[in-house]
Amino acid sequence: MTRAARYLLTPAVRPFTIMAATIVVLSLMDRGTGYFFSVGTVFSVMQLFATLGLVALGLGLTLLVREFDLSVASMVGLAGAIAVMTGGADPWIGVALGVCAGVVSGTLQGLIMTQLGLSSVGVTLGGLLTLQGITYVLTGNATVSYPNMAVALGLNAPIAGLLSVRSAAALAVFLLAGLVMTYTHVGRDIIATGSDRRASRIAGLNTDAVVVGVFAASGACAALAGVLLSYSLGAASPVALADVLAPAAAAAIVGGVSVVGGRGSAMGIAAGVLTLCILRSGLGAIGVPPYVHDLVTGGILLVIAILDAPDLMRRVTAWRLDHAERRDAALKGKSS
Amino acid sequence: MPILAVEGITKRFGPNAVLKNVSLSLDAKEVRAICGENGAGKSTLVKIFTGVYQPDGGTVCVDGTPTEIAHPQHAQELGIAMVAQELSLAPALSVLDNIWLGNRKVPLFHRRKDLRARARAALDKVGLGELALETPVAALSIGRRQLVEIARMLTRDARVFILDEPTATLSDIEIERIFAALRALKAEGKSIVYITHRLGEVFAICDAVSVLRNGELVGTRGIGDIDRDQLMAMMLGRSMSEMYPRWDSKPGEPLIAVRNLRVPPIVRDFNLSAARGTVTCIAGQVGSGAIEVLRALAGLSADATGEVDVNGRPYRLRSVRRAQRAGVQFVSEDRAGEGVFLRLNAGQNLVAAKLSAHTRLGVLGRSGLRATAAKLAAAVGVDRARLRSPADELSGGNQQKLAFGRWIGGDEPGVLLMNEPTRGVDVGARAEIYRLIRQFCERGYGVIMASSELEEVLGMADVVVSMYRGRQIASYRRGAADMQRVLADITHPVSPASPVAAA
Amino acid sequence: MTAVPLRARLRPGGIGARHLVLAARIVGIAALTAFALTTPGFTSALSVNALLNAISFIGCVAVGMTFITLTGNIMSLCLGATVSASALIFLASLAFGVLPAFLLALGFGIVVTAAQGLLIGYFRANPILVSIAGLSLLIGGAAFATGGQRIYPGGAGLLMFKGRVAGVPVEALYFFATVIVGQFILSWTRIGRVMVMVGSNIRAAHAVGISTAAAIAVAYVIAGACAAVSGVLLAARYGSGDMELGAGYDYAAIAAVLVGGTAIQGGSGSVIRTLIGVTVIAMIEVVLLLRGFSEQLQFLITGLIVLGVIMLHTIGEKR
Repeated sequence: MTRAARYLLTPAVRPFTIMAATIVVLSLMDRGTGYFFSVGTVFSVMQLFATLGLVALGLGLTLLVREFDLSVASMVGLAGAIAVMTGGADPWIGVALGVCAGVVSGTLQGLIMTQLGLSSVGVTLGGLLTLQGITYVLTGNATVSYPNMAVALGLNAPIAGLLSVRSAAALAVFLLAGLVMTYTHVGRDIIATGSDRRASRIAGLNTDAVVVGVFAASGACAALAGVLLSYSLGAASPVALADVLAPAAAAAIVGGVSVVGGRGSAMGIAAGVLTLCILRSGLGAIGVPPYVHDLVTGGILLVIAILDAPDLMRRVTAWRLDHAERRDAALKGKSS
Repeated sequence: MPILAVEGITKRFGPNAVLKNVSLSLDAKEVRAICGENGAGKSTLVKIFTGVYQPDGGTVCVDGTPTEIAHPQHAQELGIAMVAQELSLAPALSVLDNIWLGNRKVPLFHRRKDLRARARAALDKVGLGELALETPVAALSIGRRQLVEIARMLTRDARVFILDEPTATLSDIEIERIFAALRALKAEGKSIVYITHRLGEVFAICDAVSVLRNGELVGTRGIGDIDRDQLMAMMLGRSMSEMYPRWDSKPGEPLIAVRNLRVPPIVRDFNLSAARGTVTCIAGQVGSGAIEVLRALAGLSADATGEVDVNGRPYRLRSVRRAQRAGVQFVSEDRAGEGVFLRLNAGQNLVAAKLSAHTRLGVLGRSGLRATAAKLAAAVGVDRARLRSPADELSGGNQQKLAFGRWIGGDEPGVLLMNEPTRGVDVGARAEIYRLIRQFCERGYGVIMASSELEEVLGMADVVVSMYRGRQIASYRRGAADMQRVLADITHPVSPASPVAAA
Repeated sequence: MTAVPLRARLRPGGIGARHLVLAARIVGIAALTAFALTTPGFTSALSVNALLNAISFIGCVAVGMTFITLTGNIMSLCLGATVSASALIFLASLAFGVLPAFLLALGFGIVVTAAQGLLIGYFRANPILVSIAGLSLLIGGAAFATGGQRIYPGGAGLLMFKGRVAGVPVEALYFFATVIVGQFILSWTRIGRVMVMVGSNIRAAHAVGISTAAAIAVAYVIAGACAAVSGVLLAARYGSGDMELGAGYDYAAIAAVLVGGTAIQGGSGSVIRTLIGVTVIAMIEVVLLLRGFSEQLQFLITGLIVLGVIMLHTIGEKR
């Protein structure tokens, strides 16, 4: 494999390669009709990005420290419900309360995990169910509508045709996250905790604080996504967005986050999210049936799963050496 | 007033009392060595100093005040810095990031010029002046990683510096540089705690030595008041002859022959032959490749190449199943990670390799397995009452016996490979394990052992093979090997000569 | 000055903690049973049926999930979709006869999960990632094959999979059969013991000469078979199917596994424990319903109890 190709597939660069490849392929499939390469497509991509991106960012951060926040799925719904119910007069109150709920939920779960030494799957599963239950209780199991239509419309109004207030906000959060991860020791601490928690703890890092902080951030991101989504839809529904979890995890992983922690970046996650959103919108714009999106996403994830598999090289090397030895033995057998 | 003092420290892990009533005190400007065998409790003691563990009994006093050092950050605040025996670097980060990792006094923007300059200065002191700060630690060899750890320790604003086996992977020149840095620290008024096996280093740099044995403090002596043999006697608590069983070496027919073994990245051109009923010890430091050789022979290495045959029949490497079919059995150096099933009980551990023999039509004969477990437990000296206890409740020595015991009673005695057989095992259990190894030999096994403990190598081996940086250096029969020569081989051989084949 | 963390005080895994947890488990189950029995209407035929129904469909999947968790692969996010897809295959193949349709559905479930199991076992690919990939492929594949339409059965004779035998719903019988077979495999066969060893310490299992890839593949095959059984039962019950049939089953199944006390890291647990977990959760739901709690509160209380029980179990074990 050429050096350039190998570079493009290194985990740090891979998300951007995949995104670029997706754009190229879809443009080719478009055949110049202009459905894909249009301002409208970019806008719809960014609208999807606004929700999926924030959830994927939060989830990706927990993956970085080698945990998994299952509760983001119901946090989106709960924060949306809180915001819609309290933000009628002043939308910012709804935002503040919703994001607060996310921070509190993440912090509580993080504390339970670190202080009791529990695994995140169990705790966040309980969190998922509990938050879902709270959402049901708050909404009385009915759709709550959001009275402030001005805000609902304003959030989705296009800016320069490409973005809306919602997607701009999401982009801003990503930018902030990227800067913090790259230039401050917060990013280094997160990577260290995910890469080798025991070693980091011995080195003096307060890994418990890092984990709690990451879960608080994850809750906040999911909450913000939920708030913005519910505002823009003008309603909050108690139905759990259980189908937000798998796409968010997929986006983070396509975005280069390693499932065993210690590798990943905010910008990479953005690229992963964009790839999935481009696939969804782009395929729709071209007129391809929606199942193609699922098949392609599944295929990409499968390829990544294999490429990142720890034993892939071991098996390949062992197989190659076995093959070579058998061939040599056969040759020797023939000549003797 | 001593800077650091402990009184009556006790620490248990499960049923093991790892430290029993240990008291010692450390003054300013003092370099104190802590010596003791594997499992004596040295690492546990210093982990209490640095807040990684909390003692179950006793008090810790810093500057005369009783203090509870709750965790590593607190130890940092108190001015205690450590280089641990297991590396504590994050492989995904760069050298610069690792040096400042966990340091409480680092500001939010952590890669500023002054921090880079101080990191550079620390790296200079350990001889890594040329290393680029952005190099990912994952790309460094074990020796260089150790030096980065020491550099990190030097950047900490500490009064007490603790080093736990810092030189196992370093060359002589690197060791001298470390000593120079330590002497400079001492001159500045700092105190140093130095844990090592290497008695030569104790006499080279330390002012006093405290000896731990089996979790108890045997005593503290000034360096001028003791010599090497007395120190060894304090450490072992018995003479060498009591520790290692006596036997008459009766080598049987040749059992295993290894030719041109190559294990990337370091082992090359390795050759070995061993006879039934003998113990062959591969002596080498951490990183010398000794452990990798045995892992490759056991089939655990994905890219090893070479020719091996057992009883004249060759088997291909890179597969555990092929090795086992050839009669090769393996006891890992990483007991917790690869040797023992910690959450299963002792009985299940013992029969781990015997399942197929007790299976009919896919169904396990459970009573048969229980009987076999009891027999194996008796053979290795594990109390029958403990068969139903989870393995993680047993001591290190008993766990190691489980790892051995599972290979007893196979069809035909073959080759037993053991990496670091007594790592983390207390003295009493070690003697038992050495006896067990000899019993394996008497049953007709050929035992090949890799160890970095020279006393153990010389005490147990019929044949000693020394290794350095992946190459075989020399081969000695029992009687022809002596400590000085083997030590020289594994630390700085004059020339990596081709091995003298055991004739 | 920072405090000694709570975990150090509780000393998880210590003898004291284990006894405490065992006592708590016994007390908890006794309390739940008492609470249930004193609830008016709990012992009525209607509510017992509701209980049996609730545990049968999810219970089968939970048994399969148990094997995935036991072998150290945490969970699968794709079993719910496997349930739905198997149901679709069953319904679509009824034209060939009930038994062939059942076998086809079973075969499908096995093939889908076996493929995942081989990737995970042979290459150590990440199990959650592979299951998400499988989920996408199943959803896409099903949409492609059915064009998004619901499938209605062609042919009759579904009585084998629905209705009652001696007053007990057939689904429950199938579920209990699955539990018995599953527990037998786990406790009494060599492959069962091997799966537990792989989950306990995969490197040690490899060093002892076990084929870890085969063990993991078998665990996934069992999970696929269980999901297929659940799918067939659902299809027979509802008479039609689409991909929504098994939605949410993954979370319910893993909750049952964890509430039952199987360790999330693998190596410890059993199918009987999962049976207990499924029953406990279902009992709580039925009791809350009968006592007049609103649906919202039911959900919330169940969630809190699940969280509490999981926390309790893990305190009794080391991390």
